[in-house]
Amino acid sequence: MRMIRTHAAAVAFAATAALTLSACSSADGGTSAGDGTVSGDITLLSPIFEGSEGQRLLEDELLPQFYAKYPDVKVTVDYTTYNQLNEKLTTAVASGLVPDVMMMGVGWVESFADRGVLANLSETGLTQEKLEESYTKEIVEAGMWEDSVYALPIMLDTRFGVARMDLLREAGYDAPPKTWDELTEMSKALTVRSEDGTLQRTGFDVQSMDPRQMFMTMLFSAGGDLFTEDLTAPAFNSPAGVDALEFVSDLIHVDKVEDIGFSSASADPNPLVNGRAAMAIAHNNVWSQFEKAAPELLGELQPFVIQGEASGMFFGGTLATVSAKSKHPEAAQALMEFLASPGPALAANEQRGNVPALTELLDSDYVQGNPLVQFAMENLDVARREGGPAQWLEIRGTFKPAIEAALLGQQTPQEALDGLAKSAQTAIDRK
Amino acid sequence: MTTTKPAAGLRTAGAAAKESPRKPTPARSKQHPQGNKKLRRAGWLMVTPSILHIGLWTALPVIATFVLSFTNYNVFDAPRWIGFENYIEVWNDPTFRKATWNTVVYTFWTVPVSMAIAVVIAVMLNQKMRFQTWYRAAFFLPQVTATVAIAMVWLWIFNPQQGLLNAALSVVGIPGKSWLADPDWALWAVILVGVWQGIGMKMLIYIAALQNIDESLYEAASIDGASSIRKFFSITLPMLKPATFFVFVISVIGAFQVFDQVYVLTDGGPANATTMMTYEVYRSAFQNFRMGMASAQSVFLFAFLLVMTLASRRLTRGEDG
Repeated sequence: MRMIRTHAAAVAFAATAALTLSACSSADGGTSAGDGTVSGDITLLSPIFEGSEGQRLLEDELLPQFYAKYPDVKVTVDYTTYNQLNEKLTTAVASGLVPDVMMMGVGWVESFADRGVLANLSETGLTQEKLEESYTKEIVEAGMWEDSVYALPIMLDTRFGVARMDLLREAGYDAPPKTWDELTEMSKALTVRSEDGTLQRTGFDVQSMDPRQMFMTMLFSAGGDLFTEDLTAPAFNSPAGVDALEFVSDLIHVDKVEDIGFSSASADPNPLVNGRAAMAIAHNNVWSQFEKAAPELLGELQPFVIQGEASGMFFGGTLATVSAKSKHPEAAQALMEFLASPGPALAANEQRGNVPALTELLDSDYVQGNPLVQFAMENLDVARREGGPAQWLEIRGTFKPAIEAALLGQQTPQEALDGLAKSAQTAIDRK
Repeated sequence: MTTTKPAAGLRTAGAAAKESPRKPTPARSKQHPQGNKKLRRAGWLMVTPSILHIGLWTALPVIATFVLSFTNYNVFDAPRWIGFENYIEVWNDPTFRKATWNTVVYTFWTVPVSMAIAVVIAVMLNQKMRFQTWYRAAFFLPQVTATVAIAMVWLWIFNPQQGLLNAALSVVGIPGKSWLADPDWALWAVILVGVWQGIGMKMLIYIAALQNIDESLYEAASIDGASSIRKFFSITLPMLKPATFFVFVISVIGAFQVFDQVYVLTDGGPANATTMMTYEVYRSAFQNFRMGMASAQSVFLFAFLLVMTLASRRLTRGEDG
C-alpha cells in the first residue's frame, strides 16, 4: 500500500520537480529544458537507495522519470553504504575518477568543497537566498562552504527524545520530560532492575545511538556549540559541553539509569520496541521499526525535544553534490536537482523512513502518516547539525572513543573533552 | 611402510648424470649460440608477467608507501614533504601505542592457543575414523568463510541479552557480560574469534605434516612399550617442529594483520580497547584522509613484522627447509 502511495506521490510530484528544476536552473539554461542539449554518460555515487528495494526504487521508478526529461543522459549508479563512503570517495579522488554526482552526509561537504572536489553551485544560480525559500536556514547551511552553495539537501536523519507513553503512564507520568531535572527524575523512576540488580529496563537509553551523535544532541540541549563561530577552534569542551557529557555520565554512574553494554548503536530492535527502554535518544526511523515489530504500540510513541538551556535536537542527512571535474556538468547538475526535487526526495525518504529536507513536503501523506517524521519536520527550526571546519571528517572519527572513555569512567567528562579538543585543534591547525 | 627401489633405467640415468659434468661443453655452446639466446629470451618472456605483477602490485606500492610516509598527503592536495614528522607523531600517539599493545596481546594469545588446539585436532583427525573428511572440512570451514559473515554470527553469540554465550553461562550460574561493550572483555572476545577462525589452516598444515612422519617410529615406540602420550611428546611433536615453525611465522604475520573482525565486531572500541595497528592505518587513511600518516603507520607495522620474521627465521635456521 505504501509503495503504491510512493509511486503515486513520485508521479504527482514530477510536475512540481520540473518547476523546481526550472527555478533552480543555471543562467545559461543548460539544465532547464529537455531540448537535447543536456547529454552525456554520468555516474552517481549513492549511499542511499541501498538494498534491492532501494535499487528498484531508483532504477525502476525514479531514473525512468529522469530519462523521460533527459533522454540523452545515461546514469550509472555506484551503490555504497555510509560506512564505505569514505573509502569510495578517497579512492575516487586519489585516482581522479570522481563520480559526476555524489551523495554525501552533513558535515562532509565542507571538506570536499574546501579541496575543490565539488562544483560551486552558486555559480550556476543556486544561491543561499533561493534555497532558503524551500529549506530551513540550518539545512541550507549544511550544503554551504564559505558563503557558496555546494550541495542540495535530500533527506535528514534526526535525533531527539522518544518516550513510550504506556510505560510512562504506568509510572504515573502523562507527558515526556520538559527539563533535564525532570528527565533525570523520570528516568530514575522508570528504570527497572531485578532483585539481583540486573537491569531489566532503562528509564532513558543513551547507548543505542552513536556516541558522537548522542553527545551532540545533549550538547545542543545544553546550549553548547561544536566550534567557535569562525570555525578556528573547538567549543565542545566549553562548560556547556562538559555539563552535557556529565549529565549522561551521571545517568549511568550516579543515577544507575543504564548499565554500560545494556544496549549499543547496533541494537536491533531498538530497546524502545521491546520495552527495555522507557525513553531514549532515538532516530526518527525508530517509527519504521515499530511498524514492523510492534505496530500495536505506534500510538504510544511520543517524541520530545530534550530541553535544557536550549533545544536538543540533532540532524544529519544526505545531500547531493556535483563533481567540479565532471565532463558533463549540465547533465550532472540536472540529475542532482532531480534527486533533490520533491517527488524523488519524498520517495527516497519514505524508503528509508527519513525526514524530507524540503519544507513543502510537510503536508505530504508520508509525513502526515509518520508522527516522528512530522515532529522532526515541525521542529527543524531548532534542530542543529554537526560539521563546521574543513577538517571535520578527521575530527568526527575521534569523538567516539573520547565519549566512550567518559561514559566508561576512564576519564572525567572534562578530561575526555579537553583531549578531544586538543586533537581537533591540531587537525584544524594542520596546513 | 614400504620403500620402492628405483628402476634399473633410472639408476643408470642417475649414475650417468653423476659421472658427466653438468656444464655444457664449449663446443656445444659454439654450435648453438642462437639456441641459447632463444632459450634466454623465452625464459625472460615467461617470467615477465610475474616480474610485472610483482613490480606493479608489490614493489611500487611498497616504495610509494615509504615515500608517502615522509609527506603530508591528504588525497586532495599534492603530497608535501615533512620529513620525519609523521613518524614522530606515530611514536607519540597514545592511540597507536594502544593499538600496538592490543596487536601484541592479540598475537600473543591467538597464535599459541590456536596452534595448540590445531595440533591436538590434527592428531585426532589423523586417526582412522568415520566421517574423517567431514570433520576436517568442518574445522577448516571458518578459514574459507567471509570474516564479515563470521563476525555477524559472533555478534549474536556475544549479544548480552539474546546471545548464546551468556545463555550458556547462565545455565551454570555465571552472570553474563557485555562482551563487546566492556573494555575489560572486548579484546578477549576478539581474541576468541581470532583463535576459532585461525584453527582451520593450522590444522590443515599439521595434518599434512603428520602424514609425513615415518610410521615405523611409532611401531618401534610401541614395541618399547611407550604410551600414546609419550609417543605424542617424544615422536609427534619433535617431528612436527619444522611445520610448527612455519605455522608460527605465518600465524604471527596473520595476527599482526588482523582487521576484519575488529572492523565488524567492535569498530576498535569501546574507547579504543580493541583497536589494532591495521585498524589505525585504516582510520588514518580512510576516515581522517591522512595518507602520509597511514603510510608511516604501515611502515611501522612493516618494520615490526620484519623483525618478527627475521627472529623467527633465526630460530628456524636449518629446520624449515
